[in-house]
Amino acid sequence: MAQSRVSSYSLESQRVSLARGSSASLISPHGTREDGRTLHECRAAFLQTGAVNAAAGSAYAEFGQTKVIVSVFGPRESKKAQAYSDIGRLNCNVSFATFAGSVRGRAGQGVEEKEYSQMLYKALEGAVTLHTFPKTTVDVFALVLQSGGGDLPVVITCASLALADAGIVMYDLVSAVSLSSFDTKLLLDATLDEENSQDGSLMLACMTSRNEITQLSLSGEWPQGKLSEGLKLCLDACNKLAGLMRIQLRISV
Amino acid sequence: MVGLSLAEKKYVEGGIAQGLRSDGRGLHDFRTFSVELAIIPQANGSARVRLGATDVIASVKAELGRPLSGRPNQGRVEINIECSPTAAPQFEGRGGEELSLELSRALHRSLLGGGSGAGAAIDLSALSVIEGKLCWNLFIDGLVLSSDGNLLDVLAIAIKAALSNTGIPKVEVTSAAAAEQEANFEISDNPDDFSQFDTSRVPVIITLTKVGRTYIIDATEEEESQMSSAVSIAVNSLGHVCGITKRGGAGLDTSVLLDMISVSKEVSKSLLATVDAEIMAAESRNGNFFILVLVSSHYFVHVASPLFKSQVQAWLG
Repeated sequence: MAQSRVSSYSLESQRVSLARGSSASLISPHGTREDGRTLHECRAAFLQTGAVNAAAGSAYAEFGQTKVIVSVFGPRESKKAQAYSDIGRLNCNVSFATFAGSVRGRAGQGVEEKEYSQMLYKALEGAVTLHTFPKTTVDVFALVLQSGGGDLPVVITCASLALADAGIVMYDLVSAVSLSSFDTKLLLDATLDEENSQDGSLMLACMTSRNEITQLSLSGEWPQGKLSEGLKLCLDACNKLAGLMRIQLRISV
Repeated sequence: MVGLSLAEKKYVEGGIAQGLRSDGRGLHDFRTFSVELAIIPQANGSARVRLGATDVIASVKAELGRPLSGRPNQGRVEINIECSPTAAPQFEGRGGEELSLELSRALHRSLLGGGSGAGAAIDLSALSVIEGKLCWNLFIDGLVLSSDGNLLDVLAIAIKAALSNTGIPKVEVTSAAAAEQEANFEISDNPDDFSQFDTSRVPVIITLTKVGRTYIIDATEEEESQMSSAVSIAVNSLGHVCGITKRGGAGLDTSVLLDMISVSKEVSKSLLATVDAEIMAAESRNGNFFILVLVSSHYFVHVASPLFKSQVQAWLG
């Protein structure tokens, strides 16, 4: 079910362990991870729509320790300064709360926030039917309250849920999942600790019922076998996640 | 951005749909390119690459610094790309920022591997001098001088060339200090005394631009203006994929993506061979160039490749 809440809700500050080559310590001999998951198991997710009153649509998502809130405003008239456009504009902005990480963040947009904003835009652009609202802008504002790994995929998932909540017409919901590679192992939906010592990463956002990939990024070295396995794992996870998102939307209506 | 009329757009699109491109290339052909090395004397390594009308410079500067606390035995590498307004008016002021960021992040992803430093194009632990205390930090700067499409692929080639041209001075540790003490070291001022990187693992990036129903390689700016989406895939000499970045908004069918990956691997083989050959040719050209100018003036010693500087100083006696 969509509302399987994460059990631990303590205010324990995040540990940042940067131990190198520590896939051994992150994965127990029995093949379970620090938080008890198996390698190909996603974190418990909590999704909720309608988290912000003032917004046309909004959503809150909690994946393990990663907590994100997204509000959608509009469609509303584009700013006067902007040139005429016969398709709608999508304005995406991702920011991190100053207390999101273990080190206090600075106010103002950092490089990471800018990159995430761009990547969020590209992940959603292909899904939203922009031609149905010419001359107008839809604002998507995402705020990462707690950064616990896999922040971008959670933001993308949550944003598409918020767009649906706002009644913006989309071809399909966009769900996103990340995956970390360690030596020979692939870990789905990695936590921050795992991400800090990963050998490579893969992030995939897709519209599952159209079988269409809207955003993809990969780092590290991937031989062919590993790459196809990783893509398959991500696609599977995206499918399941999309199912959860649909359930949540049905509940909220 | 190029302003194309409707007829021109149809011409580009229709041509690609029939497997024809306005410069006569096949859909999966690269334009020819040229490499120049050691063009910036104050950098540790530099290169200029011209592909068609696209023209970029990459420089590598090395500075001694402290390693990050979490990575005591690795050096840092920073990649920064700048799009100069001389290339296009829309790069002026903050206009080029978005593109610059996209390019830098894509290169970062493709060249520097995952969080642990595994899969990085150059061995980050080779940059370490004294574990936890001293390491070389590499600053890789790319500058776009003129743009006619396919910036990312050209920048990757330029960085590969600049890295193969980079010489890092030898550092001699004079006292192996205890954990708390400051380390004493000397940087060798003998220009003959430098180490070079193994750049054989630095990948090339191949951008596949989707126009209509087919995709093309090495798109010009005209062709890029008609793209629906593009995927940049970094492939190294082992045929392993080292980074993928998706650009452009439209969605992409899963099967098309898998197809693109296998095409990029195929293309990477010949591209890597051409890049290596061009770098080799540039290296030998540099040597000749140097000997010629030396006859007329000592001043040019500074212009020459650091690789040859030592030889010449020996000749000068």
